[in-house]
Amino acid sequence: MKYTGTTGSAGIAIGKVYLYQRFQPEITMEPAGPPDCELLHYRTAQNAARKELEALRTRFSETGNSEQTAIFAAQLEILLDETIDEEIRNGISSGECSGAWVIHSVFEQYAAMFEGLDDPIIQERAADLRDICVRLLRCWADLPEQNLSALPEPVIIVAHDLLPSDTATLDRKNTLGILTETGGGTSHSAIIARAYEIPAVLGVSGIVSALKNRQEVILDAINGKVLTNFSLETRSTYESKRQEYLQQQAYTKQFIAREPVTPDNVRILVELNIASAAPQELEAVKYTDGAGLFRSEFLYMGRSAPPTEEEQFQAYRKVLMAYNHRPVILRTLDIGGDKPLACLDLPKEENPFLGERALRLCFRHPEIFHTQLRAALRASSFGQLWLMFPMVSSMEDLRRAKACLERAKEELRSERVPFREDLKTGMMIEVPSIALLADQAAKEADFASIGTNDLIQYLTAADRGNPAVSDYYQAYHPAVFRLIRYVARYFAAQGKPVGVCGEMGGNLLAATVLIGLGIRQLSVGAASVAAVKQMISSTSCEKAEELAKTVCGLSTAGEVYQYLREKVTLSHSFIGGS
Amino acid sequence: MYSKCAVVRNPSGLHARPASEFVAMAKGFQSKISIRRPNDDHFLGNAKSIIIVLSMGVGQGGSVEILADGPDEQQAVEALTALIESGFGEL
Repeated sequence: MKYTGTTGSAGIAIGKVYLYQRFQPEITMEPAGPPDCELLHYRTAQNAARKELEALRTRFSETGNSEQTAIFAAQLEILLDETIDEEIRNGISSGECSGAWVIHSVFEQYAAMFEGLDDPIIQERAADLRDICVRLLRCWADLPEQNLSALPEPVIIVAHDLLPSDTATLDRKNTLGILTETGGGTSHSAIIARAYEIPAVLGVSGIVSALKNRQEVILDAINGKVLTNFSLETRSTYESKRQEYLQQQAYTKQFIAREPVTPDNVRILVELNIASAAPQELEAVKYTDGAGLFRSEFLYMGRSAPPTEEEQFQAYRKVLMAYNHRPVILRTLDIGGDKPLACLDLPKEENPFLGERALRLCFRHPEIFHTQLRAALRASSFGQLWLMFPMVSSMEDLRRAKACLERAKEELRSERVPFREDLKTGMMIEVPSIALLADQAAKEADFASIGTNDLIQYLTAADRGNPAVSDYYQAYHPAVFRLIRYVARYFAAQGKPVGVCGEMGGNLLAATVLIGLGIRQLSVGAASVAAVKQMISSTSCEKAEELAKTVCGLSTAGEVYQYLREKVTLSHSFIGGS
Repeated sequence: MYSKCAVVRNPSGLHARPASEFVAMAKGFQSKISIRRPNDDHFLGNAKSIIIVLSMGVGQGGSVEILADGPDEQQAVEALTALIESGFGEL
């Protein structure tokens, strides 16, 4: 049998199932005795829960785990909260319902209220409330704490979902994998699994009842699959896949923490492309020089109304704080007819890539743009935010966007809301018309980032989403390199930083040429960081310049690719395709 | 009875750590202390309760009214409003 879910943390695990069922409170509505007895029962349960939480808090503070310490300190505060306590006692005193029933309904009422608030930080606290409620009800039933701290053997934990209290004491040594029915990439289970590097497949509905304890399963947390009743042959195939994955991971790790310096001592900045403020996106932060591209679109997706200023502010601030004064390049809303949004009714266009997208769309909807600019400005006090406008095609675009920003600044000044006055503003270079005005653009923008995906598409007139013209979409087209050389030269002449944030930065053959063209900032996805650093440490700028010079003189993409394959020696697994 | 309004100035609002600090200070006073949106006649919550403070969801720029009744009412209201106005060390 094969089940499908989503990958929460990549890897492969083969092992026995350990079904984990959290304490499921059975709540009867009828009180077991008079209110006095029920009140005493509640007090005893609350004391027991308090002792457990205090022990957890002490344990984590002694081991220096400040994040977990804060979680349990906050839970303790809520358990002993005056309002909750009062409402529970009043409910019990009325004598209509059992204490357990009252406890459950009081906590559930506040959990639902928290979920209904706008603020994502408070929404997340709803899980804490439910966690405390379950603990209190278990103490009410006088049952010991059940957790994953002492697993009988190496196992794959199978559960409906995992809560902070389940994983706080997780027996990591014996946890081969995690498999849950609910949850996605941002769930608590996913975050823990990634932090501990445990393969995890999440969101497999019905899996708990489909599996038996100690049954052997294969967790393919690369493709988000779970296999049961497999042949010995399949098992050995996955065993070698597992080994291969571990080797690759070990290899990559050697490079990820290194400083990216070329053999002739040129420091190249390696930055990260991120698409949300989720913790797993921020994991690679410590290995990079900043966020070279922070896509803001995620905030606008899958919702009926655009995000509020406060919501955006919180998300931006979170990322800025994670980067702790390393630059974070926030790209303003970059959507269009090709990427529809539920919260914005976009007309269908004949040629969406050439239509009213990104900055053009923001000019059409000034209120949405204004809200984002205000949120970004407010967040700028918390780190080094660089603001970048996408789809700039003329100097008017750049000036108009900067004027919008000025208006937002003026408004915040009059409200006496703090922001960084020296905030850098720059632009994406992805439209050929502005690339060819790089000398002008470099005078008015503080920095630029070359978006190679769109630049190639616009330069070669080939829709990158249309398979019929994929042969015409040529990343190695000599014209692409010539144009990048042109842009890099003029920004360097003005002393303004220019980086590359498209796929090309993570394509090692092409990235070598980019360094040769004078690019000193490469922003790539988390998966490419180690490989790019390895390339940098093995390629001198001198050699890269020589390669770049030749490449710009060749006549076809095929020749460029052929030439680079011959001249650049790289580990086979990381070479980019043609 | 003594009361006063204050504007939340810190960027993260009256959430998380600032909310805990506020409640901890409130608990240090003997008076009964309440919190509400200024002049809200429908809701008046216990200011010594973290759950109440959090569920009000007061962000940056929002205002609250602190009301106290008891032996140290004036001192309590002045101290709590000053804490809010100070920005909880975030400014």
